[in-house]
Amino acid sequence: MSNGIPLAEARARYSPDADLGPLPGLADTDALLNAYHPDHLRGSLVNLIVGANAGESCQRELADLLQAEAFIDEADLAGTQVSDVDVLVIGGGGAGCAAALMAAEKGARVLLATKLRLGDSNTVMAEGGIQAAIEPDDSVQQHIQDTLRGGHHAGNPELVAAMAGDGPEVLRWLIRMGMQFAQTPSGDLHTRRAGGMSTPRLTHCRDYTGLEMMRVLREAVIQHRSIEVWEQSPAVELLSNEHGQKCVGAVLTSLLDDQLRIVRTRSVILATGGLGRLHLNGFPTSNHLGATGDGLVLAYRIGAKLREMDSFQYHPTGLLHPSHLAGKLVTEGVRAAGALLVNGVGSRFVDELLPRDMVCAAILRECAEGRGIRVDEKHVGVWLDTPRLERAQPGLLEKQFPNLMSRTRVSCVDPRYTPLLVHPTLHYQNGGVVIDTNGATTVPGLYAVGEVSGGIHGRNRIMGNALLEIISFGRRAGIAATANRDRGPKKVTLEHVNRMRRALTLAGLPLARRAPQILPPYAAGGVWNR
Amino acid sequence: MGALPPTDNGDAQYQSVTLTINGNVGCMEGVCGSCRTMLRRGKQVTVGLACQTFAEDGIEAVFLPPASAPQHHYDIDDFKDGWDINARFQEIFPEASRCRHCHGCDNACPKGIKVENGVAQAAAGRYRDAGETFFECIMCELCDVACPELIAPAHVGLFSRRITAHFHLRPPNLINRLEELRKERAGSSIIESEEE
Repeated sequence: MSNGIPLAEARARYSPDADLGPLPGLADTDALLNAYHPDHLRGSLVNLIVGANAGESCQRELADLLQAEAFIDEADLAGTQVSDVDVLVIGGGGAGCAAALMAAEKGARVLLATKLRLGDSNTVMAEGGIQAAIEPDDSVQQHIQDTLRGGHHAGNPELVAAMAGDGPEVLRWLIRMGMQFAQTPSGDLHTRRAGGMSTPRLTHCRDYTGLEMMRVLREAVIQHRSIEVWEQSPAVELLSNEHGQKCVGAVLTSLLDDQLRIVRTRSVILATGGLGRLHLNGFPTSNHLGATGDGLVLAYRIGAKLREMDSFQYHPTGLLHPSHLAGKLVTEGVRAAGALLVNGVGSRFVDELLPRDMVCAAILRECAEGRGIRVDEKHVGVWLDTPRLERAQPGLLEKQFPNLMSRTRVSCVDPRYTPLLVHPTLHYQNGGVVIDTNGATTVPGLYAVGEVSGGIHGRNRIMGNALLEIISFGRRAGIAATANRDRGPKKVTLEHVNRMRRALTLAGLPLARRAPQILPPYAAGGVWNR
Repeated sequence: MGALPPTDNGDAQYQSVTLTINGNVGCMEGVCGSCRTMLRRGKQVTVGLACQTFAEDGIEAVFLPPASAPQHHYDIDDFKDGWDINARFQEIFPEASRCRHCHGCDNACPKGIKVENGVAQAAAGRYRDAGETFFECIMCELCDVACPELIAPAHVGLFSRRITAHFHLRPPNLINRLEELRKERAGSSIIESEEE
């Protein structure tokens, strides 16, 4: 492919004052998505053969993991150390911390186990903000409508209504926990309008919203007397009762000593996040190191139903350069503040504040049709015209986007004077484990919250709903999981693992592949081996 | 680092391949604070974040283990009265007023935060200012390691930020909407109980 305009030529053509011409109308959004969105790439989808979603469409690389063999069997559990707690939370991001805090507040003894360090998550990297309908001319109803429309009406309206209705209360809880937000001179929470929103609804803490949220929740969890935290302790398998029908705990391993540990509990809350580090369809990702889809694999093996496993969000503006930051985000907030997308011939080509899937497809169209900017054979992108924004609103980038500025400063790129080269990057898992408004999955005793769960964002998430979802549903699941006051497990087994193995064998599927993946191949065995 | 010239250095800057100490693995954005590293270049020893440090000839790096459990305990819900917050702070962080101005924390901070200054602000009860000083803190806790008085500056900073929000952030637009929703719920529960 000699597609694209060579970098030198595009740079010569670029000027922050150039007339960009009129914005071309968007004729048929469905046709655009079908032709260019990565979800629709030929060969990207397969039908699942075994499990609760047998016969349904699923992204190919994910299907391989969902239909893989477990790491352990009963022999591995003999003599393993056992701990008993009321609620086990798997995952140390925002959703896991919110769930743990609420469960503890309701009187549960909580164990929070996390693969890496507490707070190592996509939450900490979320920049843009958190949605809540708090402005006088906004309403919870509008928030619901925007979310459903942005998700192409594939979302579950009941879940969306629960989340949007929680919005204001979530902000109040976060402030009580000690989270700061940007304010207007009169003291109101400052709101922005971002892609897919009918009115300003995005509250934020400059472009460090996720970091501010995560460091506050992390501190609250560490300080809480009833929450024990196990770091570097990924889950390798869930535990079921003797019928394989109820989740009664989990088996954890340790990245430090490789020892298995059994945790017996009444309720397990999965808050393991997404799967960007599987690099679906060969895309770079904005995701944190731990995002390898473990929760989906564990939930599916124990029998939980999933949804929209063929729908992923590719964030339109991942950095193409500098190379060590490839795939990392330039927050949508920059576009919300007015930055335009410009192709290699110096024209605008899409309304920058359309929902993310359309902007992403439009960028991929420009690249495929030769109007992208070609860095080398593999790397083609478009400009994010930050210098133009800087000229229109001097000082804005430095004042409102310190994170972007400090990140690019390390690499000697100054977005105030040089346009950023961007390309879509794998960002978010739209679907996930089917849940109800308590975060309960279709398997008794098993809850799922945050990115690992599905049904809220339909087939496309709009900005600011992820940070809201993790707190809204994290709190709901924490409360519901604690309300489960049965006598706890009599017997912990791997019956569900045996069941899945039988199904795989009957279907003639190979048992060679094992899952969950836990770390991407390029990190496994490297980072923590000291 | 520092301010960049308004002219760029040509196309090369877009094409160079960069490799960080942690092999381009991790958050890479210097926000998660996990890749704490001790670095040696000849006789010079520093600490930093691996993801923000480019590989170069002769550099040696040792990844530091995760931080130990915090030594200062408080529950933000225990603070009922903002008037005694400075007394409470002195109880929780007694070391904060014993800073010996060694600049260890300032030198350790990978985000260039004026840590020592922030601790002084907090010790003087100026929590809003202290919190703002620590705005870019990523909780890598390298300053905690560096402090000979065991002040735990990162946690002092976070305490300052949390107290400021907890006691002072009362946004009218949020409060109004919460009140509206409360009335709606009260209204609908009256209707429900009438129907019963």
